Amino acid sequence: MLLQNKNFFQIFSIPEAYDLDPVLLAENYRELQAQVHPDRFANASEAEKLQAVKSTSVLNDAYETLRSPQGRAAHLLQLRDVDVSKVSQSDLSPALLFEQIQLREELEDIPRDEKSLNKLDHMRKQIEEKVRDCQKLFVKNFNTGQLLRAKSNYYEMQYLFKLLSDMDAIEEDLLGY
Amino acid sequence: MALLQISEPGGITTQTERKRAVGIDLGTTNSLVAARCGDSVETLPDSQGRHLLPSVVRYLPEGQPALTGYQALDGLLTDPLNTIVSVKRLLGKNGDEISDNSSFLTGRFVVDQTNDALVITTVAGDKQPLEVSADILRVLSERAESYLSGPLDGVVITVPAYFNDAQRQQTRDAARLAGLKVLRLLNEPTSAAVAYGLDSGDQGNVVVFDLGGGTFDVSILSLQKGVFQVLATGGDTNLGGDDFDDKLAQWILEQSGANSELDPGERNALLHLARQMKHDLSEKDPIDVSYADWSGSLDNEQYARITANLIDRTIKVCRRVLRDAKLSIAQINNIVLVGGATRMPVIRNQVQKLFQREPLVSIDPDKVVAIGAGIQADVLIGNKTADSFLLLDVNPLSLGIETMGELVEKIIPRNTTIPVARTQEFTTYKDGQTVMLIHVLQGERELVSDCRSLARFEVRGIPPMVAGAAKIRVTFQIDADGLLSVDAKELSTGTSTRIQVKPSYGLGSNEIENMLKESQENAQSDMKARALKESLIEAEQLLEALESAIAVDGDLLTDDEALKLSEAGAALKKALQTENSREIHRLTEKLNGASEGFAAKRMDVQIVDALCGESIDTMSQDGK
Repeated sequence: MLLQNKNFFQIFSIPEAYDLDPVLLAENYRELQAQVHPDRFANASEAEKLQAVKSTSVLNDAYETLRSPQGRAAHLLQLRDVDVSKVSQSDLSPALLFEQIQLREELEDIPRDEKSLNKLDHMRKQIEEKVRDCQKLFVKNFNTGQLLRAKSNYYEMQYLFKLLSDMDAIEEDLLGY
Repeated sequence: MALLQISEPGGITTQTERKRAVGIDLGTTNSLVAARCGDSVETLPDSQGRHLLPSVVRYLPEGQPALTGYQALDGLLTDPLNTIVSVKRLLGKNGDEISDNSSFLTGRFVVDQTNDALVITTVAGDKQPLEVSADILRVLSERAESYLSGPLDGVVITVPAYFNDAQRQQTRDAARLAGLKVLRLLNEPTSAAVAYGLDSGDQGNVVVFDLGGGTFDVSILSLQKGVFQVLATGGDTNLGGDDFDDKLAQWILEQSGANSELDPGERNALLHLARQMKHDLSEKDPIDVSYADWSGSLDNEQYARITANLIDRTIKVCRRVLRDAKLSIAQINNIVLVGGATRMPVIRNQVQKLFQREPLVSIDPDKVVAIGAGIQADVLIGNKTADSFLLLDVNPLSLGIETMGELVEKIIPRNTTIPVARTQEFTTYKDGQTVMLIHVLQGERELVSDCRSLARFEVRGIPPMVAGAAKIRVTFQIDADGLLSVDAKELSTGTSTRIQVKPSYGLGSNEIENMLKESQENAQSDMKARALKESLIEAEQLLEALESAIAVDGDLLTDDEALKLSEAGAALKKALQTENSREIHRLTEKLNGASEGFAAKRMDVQIVDALCGESIDTMSQDGK
């Protein structure tokens, strides 16, 4: 079936590029949901219900992937036969690793009390800036066919996003959620 | 039927008569049923004009039917051990999880050692919590059937968004036990948003703050062109109006210096007084209080202090959900209050303070959830044009599996839009290993012991190989009701072992059947007639739907497929004459199976049409 299409950009009929129009993506997602969601088949045969659950799952997965900055990058690479699940030594430069270790240490050094929320916020802004730079580099390298470099940019993005999500967890802890 | 719906998204051509579908709010304290009455959906009253049905069941000795609702209320004082309240708190819980709640519960509990299931010992025998829920559902469905003059074709039952898989499964099982066809389990906050008719015209973000008798939910929904998408949801399954009563009851005991050793009857009387005070404080400030030989007064400010810890918990959840939705307070356009406990001024003030906005309260907060469910039931059964709105829900709790060191690895994070499927590949760690154990958990914490265990299952029949050579792909699927199923395939040898796993707390079909038999021993022949009627309806609906689908999209079928369908159809038609419900059911299933490929093809056509009629095949060529 069509939703088994391996190219998520095609599912949503949007151009295959890192920079995308999130409004158009969301609109097309809702349009497709309106057709395949199991609620449209609440009273239907089991075969159709099952089909609807499967189709919607694929649709949701495709949407999540494209919406996520890392997911989108990984998917683009995959479409160019670059497998991001296989990391090789050459993908990670010593400079990149060194910087990540430094950032980790910086995060470790922030005391775990409520007064640190501002510090966390400050660091977050700094990381988000890095993410934006990294995304720009990814686009540049990807568009000029330098896929190995783009792959390396992808890993850097991953490190940074992991850092951000760990910061979220720390913040949630501090806020007592 | 959906086969018809997908051929005619705008309207159903061959609709003959209105189907009977209702929405049921199966609440901790009160339950309601709502159905379409003319132009609007309203809650249905009992013969005495009362809309709420207290979620209370009193079991009587020897063959006497159980009392439900108002009739059972007296039992709280006179017969507390056989009068079950707040049973929703027990659904899907095991022995350990119950102790936290014990202060609310009457009745005697026994934990069945064989499956860790909870049973309530009553004078009418042991009752599982879901049987008590089924008794409440039966009363509501009878009320609806008499109002709509005929049997129900389907129901939508609401559940707290925060309900875990076990709690959802048991709600579904309770409905099956009550003989109801569940169209959908709908999250309560989503239902409330639907009731407010925040539909096609409106756009923006809505917070639904739902403080019921026993549970607390906060959800944030975005509305765009008739699609309600839940962005994030959170809550506390152990926080509700009952807790406020409990706090007040403690306060009364402290203030009055009365003996705090209470028997169950006295305890219920004290809670009753506390509840009354809570209600009075919503109308009047301050109020006079007297208990035993003590009397005093209480105002809302004091009340806020007494319950500060509970109110804080609700506000914390709000902040967390905002965070999950990645929204700021300024981006919230509406606040909907749900649940009787939101009548409390102490709650309204806090909510208004947090969101800096006056909440919507025009619909009775007790009825709003049932009304939304009624609207959704009407849509799902096909009475209303299906494209009027769509609800996209999320899974409220992360789903994970146990890994080395009793840690949980998350596979589907919370607030992922459902339905969702994720696959994970596993391998063996010993040479010649043929069995693998997979433990599925639900929750946010990292340790296995802090999460809710959903299922443990074994993948068997792995061909013996060196460690790490076998590849087992496990698929976790959450459906639109938030229910999980898991299946596993062994990939490396090409022989795929397929298993379907049902979480351990769900009931098997046999169990449900047995329970049905027990509860309806005198109605055997009725059951047979009902089964036959159900199988006939099911078969006829399928045949009719398939014929219309073939009329529209028959050209999608190959000759071979068309032949198979028509053979299976003919066999089913022949069986309709036999009055053998089992055979009819079997052949219906067979025809269903035969139509799977057709369903997939038709859906493809729909998808292509959905995006401006452009063919995706063409686009894929352009894209490269």
